[in-house]
Amino acid sequence: MRKLLPWLLLAPSLLVIGVVQLYPALWSVWLSFQKVAGVRTAPVGLRNYALVFGSRAFAESLWHTAFFLFGYVVLTLLLGLGIALLLNRKLKLGTAYASLLFVPWVLSDVIVGLVFKLFVDPDTGLFAPFFAQPLFGLQGSALLTHVPTETFIASVPFPPAPALIYLIVAAVWKALPFTTLLALAALQTVPREVTESAALDGAGGGRMFAYITLPLILPQVLAATFSLIIGGMNGVGMVFALTGGGPGTSTEVLSLLLYSIGFSALDLGRAAALSVFIAAVNLLLLAAALRASRARGER
Amino acid sequence: MSARRVHWLPNFALIAICAAMIFPVFATFVISFKRQADVARKPPLLFPCDTPAADFDLLACRFDSEGYERLLANRPDATALFGRAFIDRMLGTFLPNTLLYAMSASLLVTLLAGMAGFAFARFEFRGRRALQMGILLLTGMPLLTNLIALYQLTVSARRVVAPLLGDGIAAFDQALLIVIYTGLFLPFSIWIVKGFYDAIPRDLEEAAQIDGCTPVGALLRVTAPLAAPGLFSAFLLSFVGIWNEFVVNYLIVGASRPELRSAVVGLYSLTGTNLINYQVLAAACVLIMLPVLLLFFAFRSIFFRAMTEGAVK
Repeated sequence: MRKLLPWLLLAPSLLVIGVVQLYPALWSVWLSFQKVAGVRTAPVGLRNYALVFGSRAFAESLWHTAFFLFGYVVLTLLLGLGIALLLNRKLKLGTAYASLLFVPWVLSDVIVGLVFKLFVDPDTGLFAPFFAQPLFGLQGSALLTHVPTETFIASVPFPPAPALIYLIVAAVWKALPFTTLLALAALQTVPREVTESAALDGAGGGRMFAYITLPLILPQVLAATFSLIIGGMNGVGMVFALTGGGPGTSTEVLSLLLYSIGFSALDLGRAAALSVFIAAVNLLLLAAALRASRARGER
Repeated sequence: MSARRVHWLPNFALIAICAAMIFPVFATFVISFKRQADVARKPPLLFPCDTPAADFDLLACRFDSEGYERLLANRPDATALFGRAFIDRMLGTFLPNTLLYAMSASLLVTLLAGMAGFAFARFEFRGRRALQMGILLLTGMPLLTNLIALYQLTVSARRVVAPLLGDGIAAFDQALLIVIYTGLFLPFSIWIVKGFYDAIPRDLEEAAQIDGCTPVGALLRVTAPLAAPGLFSAFLLSFVGIWNEFVVNYLIVGASRPELRSAVVGLYSLTGTNLINYQVLAAACVLIMLPVLLLFFAFRSIFFRAMTEGAVK
């Protein structure tokens, strides 16, 4: 009985997880080697992979994703760490600030995307006049429809469309609360004696952070980085609602490309091949994140 | 002097940051109470409170429930595209659907995670570590990867059961959605709940077992009440996640069965039409945001603890 009990407790969860996550994941791998037409399939070897990796859309969306992730991760980390440092000073209003700061976290990606889209609507958007200033170089077109004239430097879609940068802004706004919370939790693990003795030895704010605090919280910062990359790679709701991939394909990131191959073009085999690629990248990142957090545990 | 400045600077910075974080939500609230004439103003203005004499006059504010009324109102005539037809669905179909999916799947998640988390926290058995690691790795699986297969599987399953069920196929689709949500939110919740169990001293259960409780009795009478905050936080995180979820609902039922759409999918399908006014859309956004915002403010500390618990480990 004692030996059986844990398995009885686990059985329902394992069953549901198996049906909804494990089996579909394996099925996707199998599907990536098939040609799918309706419910009929025929094996095609590596053809789906060749088609996906050889396509121009894949190369472009890889660049879009890389650019998006770079801006998203760097900005979110910097701002999140900064806000966490401020909150960590145990101000009187600390909890009030924290509650207000966390509002974006409970909102739907689609609502965030929609609200940010309406803000720059050329006719009624609150920020439309602001972005119409010459400084932003939109030359009279709306933020979400402006396409840079010279996009390709050696087949790299650079500079990115303003819509992609605006997508980064919306995504950072949405992700900041969670990152701030992680950074704050990490900062609170730094023993007070360490910072106090460093202060006695004459370390100022900036040097204290660079030489004492940051090295101590680095594993958590790394873990947060990986979770931001994984989250940023897989979300589609916000892109859907904010830009829908446009103008043209200038905000088509990998997850959106996967969606459009799978569910607009209904080529499930090719979509499965792309999804296996994305899943492999994710699992590598997750393994790296686990190593980073284990490094912390050992110290 | 310098001590005062040091004290004021972070407060000032945090107030500015909070303002930036709150602004989009605040602006959506304000816009949802504007009139058509003020929404269409050029250049746009946030507060519809200007007069010919002054830029801002609190007494002259023209706030109105027009946006909400248009959400709720009867269609002006039978040929009008929106009005009642839309809002009937938002209030009568989409929001109740969302509540059904979020409530039933979160309850299932809480129950199953409560059991599985206990098994991981309290028992030594062969394969425990491997199983835990496997479940953790599944949380890193991209949703769309699973959805491609789930989409294909549901299409096939529907083909098989449709002739048998007849009109019951809608209930089948809803059950399917609830099971999918349960499976998607389980791994993360097991992780959170296990963390809460780990924090409860084992001696309490052992004492109860010495006093004659069975292991299951000890779980129900001693551990479960102490683990209640952990279970509740798993429930809350799943509820908010499913309430806000888009792509699963959109793909599995939203495209083919409008009557099974969730609120977010219903809202999204509206935006494609371009026929609805800004203040009406804002009002719909407010209706969808309000329940989760209220939940968040009511159970703030539980959210914070669950988020760190789930993410730090």
